[in-house]
Amino acid sequence: MKTFKRLVTARELPVFIALVAVVLLAGIANPSFLSASGATDILLGVAIVAILAVGQTFVIVMRHIDLSVGSLIGFTSFLIGDIYAQGYGLMAGLGAALAVGLVVGAVNGFLVAYLQLPSLVVTLGALYIVRGVFNDYAFGRTITAAMVPPEIAWIGLNRLGSIPYLFIIGLSLAIVSGIVMRRVKAARDLYAIGSNPAAAELAGIPVARRVFGAFLFNGALTGLAGAVMLGRFNAANANSGLALELIVIAACVVGGVTIAGGSGTVWGAFLGAILLQAITRTIGALGIPQFWQQAFNGALIIIAIAFDKYLNSRVKTTTIMGSKDA
Amino acid sequence: MRRWNFSWDKGVGIFLIVAVMIGTLLSDNFANASNLSFVLRDVTEFAIIALAMTFLIISGEIDLSVASALNLSSASLGFLYRAGVPFELAIIGGLLVGLACGLFNGYLVTKLGLPSLAVTIATLALYRGLSYVLLGNQPVNELPEFWISIGYGRILGTFLPWSTILLVVLAAIAWFVLHHTRYGRWTFAIGVNAEAARFSGIPVERTKLMLFAMTGLMAGVAGVVYTLRFASASPDGAVGYELSIIAAVLFGGVSIAGGVGTMWGVIAAVLSLGVIRSALQLTGFTANSLLIVSGALLLISVIAPKITEALRKRPSALGKDNTKKTIREVGNEKPTH
Amino acid sequence: MKNRLIKSGLRTFALSAVVALGIAGCASTETVTEEPAESTETSEAAESYRIAIMPKAINIGYFAAWDEGAQKACAELGATCDYIGPNEATGPAQVQFINQVIQEGYDALVISAADQNAIVPALQEAAAAGITIVTSDADVAAESADARLVTILPSAADRIGTAEVDWIAEEVGEEGCVAILSASATAANQNVWIAAMGPYLEETYPNMSWCGGDLESATFYGDDDATKSVEQFNAILSQYPDVAGIIAPTTVGVLAAAQEKKAKGATVAVTGLGLPSEMAPYIEDGTITKVGLWNPIDLGYVAVYAAVLSMQGEFDGSVGSTFTAGDASYEVVEGGIAYLGDPFTFTIDNIATFKEIY
Repeated sequence: MKTFKRLVTARELPVFIALVAVVLLAGIANPSFLSASGATDILLGVAIVAILAVGQTFVIVMRHIDLSVGSLIGFTSFLIGDIYAQGYGLMAGLGAALAVGLVVGAVNGFLVAYLQLPSLVVTLGALYIVRGVFNDYAFGRTITAAMVPPEIAWIGLNRLGSIPYLFIIGLSLAIVSGIVMRRVKAARDLYAIGSNPAAAELAGIPVARRVFGAFLFNGALTGLAGAVMLGRFNAANANSGLALELIVIAACVVGGVTIAGGSGTVWGAFLGAILLQAITRTIGALGIPQFWQQAFNGALIIIAIAFDKYLNSRVKTTTIMGSKDA
Repeated sequence: MRRWNFSWDKGVGIFLIVAVMIGTLLSDNFANASNLSFVLRDVTEFAIIALAMTFLIISGEIDLSVASALNLSSASLGFLYRAGVPFELAIIGGLLVGLACGLFNGYLVTKLGLPSLAVTIATLALYRGLSYVLLGNQPVNELPEFWISIGYGRILGTFLPWSTILLVVLAAIAWFVLHHTRYGRWTFAIGVNAEAARFSGIPVERTKLMLFAMTGLMAGVAGVVYTLRFASASPDGAVGYELSIIAAVLFGGVSIAGGVGTMWGVIAAVLSLGVIRSALQLTGFTANSLLIVSGALLLISVIAPKITEALRKRPSALGKDNTKKTIREVGNEKPTH
Repeated sequence: MKNRLIKSGLRTFALSAVVALGIAGCASTETVTEEPAESTETSEAAESYRIAIMPKAINIGYFAAWDEGAQKACAELGATCDYIGPNEATGPAQVQFINQVIQEGYDALVISAADQNAIVPALQEAAAAGITIVTSDADVAAESADARLVTILPSAADRIGTAEVDWIAEEVGEEGCVAILSASATAANQNVWIAAMGPYLEETYPNMSWCGGDLESATFYGDDDATKSVEQFNAILSQYPDVAGIIAPTTVGVLAAAQEKKAKGATVAVTGLGLPSEMAPYIEDGTITKVGLWNPIDLGYVAVYAAVLSMQGEFDGSVGSTFTAGDASYEVVEGGIAYLGDPFTFTIDNIATFKEIY
C-alpha cells in the first residue's frame, strides 16, 4: 500500500500519464504506431537526448544550467570517428572523448563553483568556444560510415528483442543515476544546494565541491555520449549536435526538473525525453500536414510544461529537498 | 567625491574604442565609411531586440523565442502583402504579431507562473512553426522597391543606413526609460527582489507582462527591418539569433541574476561585437574563429569584474551596479544562477 | 536630478562622438564604387584577378569538393582564389561575407546561394561596385536573375528530378507508392526538382503513385539535418507502412535514409543524390543500389572559367553565347543558365573509383 501511495504521488506521475496519453492517441490514429517497430523507433530516437537529460538533471537541480552539451557531444562524436579513422583504435577515441568532456566540464565547473560566475553565461561562452574549436578541427570533413569503429556501429544497429542497445545504455544510466541520487549523500546534497544554497552552506555541505563535481560529471557523460551519437547516425560533421541543448533542457523541464532547482529526478528527465519524442511522432502519426507540425510541437510542449506545473503544485512535497525520499 | 568606479559597462565602452583601433590597424579595409555602414546594418536587428531584452533580463526573466518572433513578424508581413494588403498596413500587421508573441510569453510567465527559460524554448518552436503555417515553402520575394531601398540603402549622400536612425531613436528612448523613469526603477527593483518590490507597491506581474510585450514588439520591429533588408520574408529566417542577442546583452554588463545593468553598456556591447566580427573577417579569420572569440569575450565579461571586485575587496552587494536610483537592500544577496 | 540626466546624456554623446569622429577621421574619402570599376576597364592579364569563392557554408564536405574545382581553374588561369564563407548556410550569414568581398575589392564572386532571395540586395550592391558575379550550384530566384551574370547548374532541373524517378522505378519494379525526403521546405533547388518529379511519375509509370495520394503528402522535409532527416525517414515508414521507395534529392537526406534503412533492416528502396565517398559503404553492402550526383568539382571549375572569361571580355552571359572551360564547351540558355550535363550515377560497378575522388 505504501508503495502504491508512493507511486501515485510520485513527481514523475504527470509525465508518465502524459506519455501514456500521447502514445494512446497516436495508436488510435495510426495503429502501426503501437507496434514493436513503432516502439523501437521512439526508443532509438530518444537515446541521445535521454542520456544528456540525465546528466543535465544533476546540474539543473542545483539551479544551474549547462548549455555547452550540444557543441560538446557533436565534437566528441566527430573526434571518436576521426581518431579511429587515423588508425588509433576505438579505445583511444573514447579516451579522447572522455578527456575533452572532462576538460570542458572542469572549466565550466571551476568557473561556476569557485569563481561563482553565473552558469548560463559561462556555459553559453563554452557553447561558442567548443563549437568554434570543433568547426576548426573538422573543417569541411565528414565522418562517414566507413570511419565508425565497428563496435560502435554494431551497438548502434542492433537490439535486444525490439529494444535498441542504445536505449538500454541510456536506461542503465538512468537507473544507476537514480540510485545514486537517492542513496549517495553527495548526490542528495545537490537538492539541498538547489533549494537553498545559503542554508546548504550553513549545514556544512561543501557547496563548491558539489557544484564542480556535477559539472565535471555532466561533461564526462556528454563526452562519452558522443559514442552514442556516432552509433546512432553513423556519421558526424561540423553541424552535429547543433541546438541540441535546448531540446535537452525542454526534456528536463517537461519531466519535472524545475529550472528553479531543488526538485525533479533523473527518472523524470528520462521520461521527459521520451515524451518529447513521442509528441513529435504522434504529430506525424496523426497525419497533421507537414507545415503545421512544428507549431503543434511547440504548443504541446507548452501544455506539457503547464500540465506538469499544475499537477506538481498539488503534490505534497514531504521533505524540504523535494526529492523522492519519503 | 565619488571615486570613479570601474564598472563593466564602462569597460565595454573602452573595449569598443579599442576594438575600432585594433580593426583599423589590422586591415586597410576596415576603417572607412562603407564598412561602418555594413557593420551598422548588420547589428541593427540584434541591437533593437537587445534594447528590450536588457529590461527583461534586468527584471530577472529571459526570452529565448525572440528570433522566432522576429521571423513570425516577417512572415506575417510577407503573408499579408502577398494576400493583397497594402504594404504599409502589412507592416503594422507584422508589428502587431510581434506584440502578440510577447504578450503570449508574458501571459504564460505571469499568469500561469511557468518558468520563462523553459516556456520560451517552447514558444520558440511554436512561433517558428507558425511561420511555416503562414508561408509554407514559398518565401515572399517581390516587395515594393521603395521600402527595400529604405531597408538596404543609405541616407542620401552619407554612409548611414536608414535603419540606423530607427535604432538611434529606439536606443535613446530605451536608455531614457531604463535609467530615468520609474518604470526603469521598477524593473531594477523587481530584478533585485521581486517579493520586496511587490511589498513596496510595485505592480510586479503587470510590469513583467509589459516587459515581455515590449520585447515582442521590438522583435516585430526587428522583423520588419530584417524583411526590408533581405527583400524577402521566409519561414526559416533568423535562426539562432536569440543566443547572440542574449550573449550581447550579457557582454554589456547585464547580470543574468537580475537587478544590474546599463543600457549603454549593452549598446556598446552590440556595436563591439559587430566591430570585432568585421575586423576579424577582414583580417582573414574564418567564421569559426569568430565563434571562439565571442565565447571568450562572454567569459571575460563575467570573469573580469569578479577579479577587479576581488582586488578591491568590496562587498559584492555594492560592487558594480548602477547606484543611482535603485531600490536596493544592502545585504540582500541574490543566489547566483 | 536634471544635472545628472544632462551629465550622463553628455557622457554618452561625448563617447559616441569620439567614436564616430575617430572612424570618420581614419576613413578614406573615396567610396568603394570607384576602385574596382577602374580595374575591370583596362584589359589586365589574368594574373591579377582576385576571385572570391563562396559556398553556402564552409564546413560542408560537398563544398570542399566544389572549391577544389574552383582552385584548379584558378591555377590554370593564374588567378588568385580565396575560399570564404559563413559557418551556417543562411542568407543573412552569406550577406556579411558578400559585404566583405565588396570591402576588399575582389574582381569576381563565385557563389552558391544559401538563400535565393535574401542575398539579392547584397549582390546588387556588389554588381554596382563592379564585381562580376557568377552563381554556381545554387542560384538566386528567377525573378532576380539579373543580379548575376550567369549561373552554372548541374543539369536541367527537370532532368535531375525525372532521372531520380527513373532510378527508383527501376528498383521497385515500377509499382508501389513513392515518398520524398527533401532538404528544407524552402530549398529552391529541391523544390524545382520535386516539381518536375510529380507529373513525370504519374505519366510514365501508371502502376506507381505518390504515397498519400499526391506529391504534397508524399514530401517530407529533413532540413539537411541528420537528426531531422532520420526522424522524417521514420515518419514516412510509420505513416505509409507500404511505401515501396524513397527518393532523397539531397546528400544529407540520402545518407540519413541509408543509415536508418540499414539500422532497421527496412526493405524500402532508397535512392537520391549522394556523394560517392559518403554512400560507398551502403552501396558496397547492398543497402543502396544506385545513387547519382554530378561532380561538384566541375561546378566550381566551370564557374571560375565563366567569371574570368567574362572579365576578359570573351563571354557576356547572354542567351545563346558559349564559352569553353577545360575540354568542354557550354552554352547559355533561357534564364542565363549553363548546364553541365546529365547526372552521373554510382553503382557497385564504379563506386570504388569515385569514392576516392569526392
